[in-house]
Amino acid sequence: MKNWPKELSIWLDDRFGLSAITQFLKEKPVPQHKHSIWLYTGSAILLFFVIQVVTGFMLILYYKPTLDAANASVARIMTEVPLGWIIRSVHSWSSTFMIAFVFIHLISIWLTKSYRKPREITWMSGVFLLACSLVFGFTGYLLPWDDLSLSATKVGTDIPRSIPVVGAWVTKLLRGGGDVTGDTLTRFFGIHVCILPIFIFLLLAIHVYLIQKKGMSIPLDAETRNEDVPTIPFWPNFVYREMVVWLVLVGILFSIAIVFPPSLDKQADLMAAAPEGVKPEWYFLFLFQTLKIFPAKILFVNGDSVAVLIMLLAGLFIFFLPVIDNKPTERKGKIITALGYVLVVYALIMSVWSLL
Amino acid sequence: MKLKHSLFTRRQFLNGLFGGWITALLATFIYPVVKFIFPAYREPDEVILLFSDFEGMAPGSVKRFPWGSKPGILKKNDDGTYLAFVGVCTHLDCNVAYLPEQKKFFCACHDGWYDEYGTNIGGPPAHPLRRLVVEIAAPDLIIKREDVE
Repeated sequence: MKNWPKELSIWLDDRFGLSAITQFLKEKPVPQHKHSIWLYTGSAILLFFVIQVVTGFMLILYYKPTLDAANASVARIMTEVPLGWIIRSVHSWSSTFMIAFVFIHLISIWLTKSYRKPREITWMSGVFLLACSLVFGFTGYLLPWDDLSLSATKVGTDIPRSIPVVGAWVTKLLRGGGDVTGDTLTRFFGIHVCILPIFIFLLLAIHVYLIQKKGMSIPLDAETRNEDVPTIPFWPNFVYREMVVWLVLVGILFSIAIVFPPSLDKQADLMAAAPEGVKPEWYFLFLFQTLKIFPAKILFVNGDSVAVLIMLLAGLFIFFLPVIDNKPTERKGKIITALGYVLVVYALIMSVWSLL
Repeated sequence: MKLKHSLFTRRQFLNGLFGGWITALLATFIYPVVKFIFPAYREPDEVILLFSDFEGMAPGSVKRFPWGSKPGILKKNDDGTYLAFVGVCTHLDCNVAYLPEQKKFFCACHDGWYDEYGTNIGGPPAHPLRRLVVEIAAPDLIIKREDVE
């Protein structure tokens, strides 16, 4: 009985056969080159996602998704529930961190061209994960049910209306009717805590499986300069390095969450005018500003319809990027790389402009 | 197994039968599901308010009233007549505010501007504010959609 932990693990392994997985992780090589730092962005996203799940479970214990009770229940979490304010603050800040890292992750893969054959589906599942993250953010923004979140949701759910044929239906589906009402709140809550989690876990499973299956991609310029890129084992060497990164990120997250807890305005009034300075979450600012600068009419078409169409096409372009840029690995494809930079610069300029 | 005169094997026949059955069953399930998640929505044909609540409004001021789940805005003109609007921006559906000193409607979401008659004059809105018909039949104030007789 002295060595019972080991005996137990052997006993379990006999039943589950998990040693195949640990063996795979020990042997899985992680390439080390000058772009290796980007490999840590994926696990950072996972870290914040786990924090979201845990803090989300905690917030659900007190949150009430109804027209009359939502705002008050968040106020109660912030003022009465022991340490409720910090749980909500971490949930809010962790979403910001998660989406920031999703953007960084996407751009790093775009610029190092890791989406090319045979990793097309990894990229596409990643674009779906990005979409899921944004919808998580969008639906979560409404839940405190204050003036700002109401106006942001009115705009956000009205945008699909410009899409031909299906647009009006999408708006109705999102709102649960013609307008943003208490039904929208309940619907968003359901999407946020039930439907999206199912999708995101499924997509994560596909994404992570494909990354294991196809191994880490080695960027073009890292490969040509050195034929034999050195590697380290995933377990334990790479995971230990990741843990250092996680420790630092958790420290930053909690420090910011304690110093800058999110605000809560007064309960939303469906009849009141939109408050001045309505802004969506920071990750939608560049889209918000794009909508703002389009004129009312372009020739005979509504300006916002054109803007929405352009956004839709851009989204499709990003999704189908591996199919569009399907050149063999040794080709550089400078235009696509340049487009990646253009996207970053455009998003930064528009976001800053919207804050001026 | 396939009979001499048959077009299908027994397996194909059964697959078609069960496949068809499951498809038909799913289709009958999908209809109520779709009906359930898209609630019927109709905006009101008219709302009836108490005229005495609005009679004392100062000329050039506005007062809000519920138009279904949207805000309605009743404006008293300088000559004592009334105008009613659906108080949501025609750009992306935010609730608009009336600025009496500038005699303009303003949408804070994307800086949309309308004049005192609801005509779009600046910013992204491509259409004027939607007008409603005002009828005074004391003691009632009846506000109707434009297309309702």
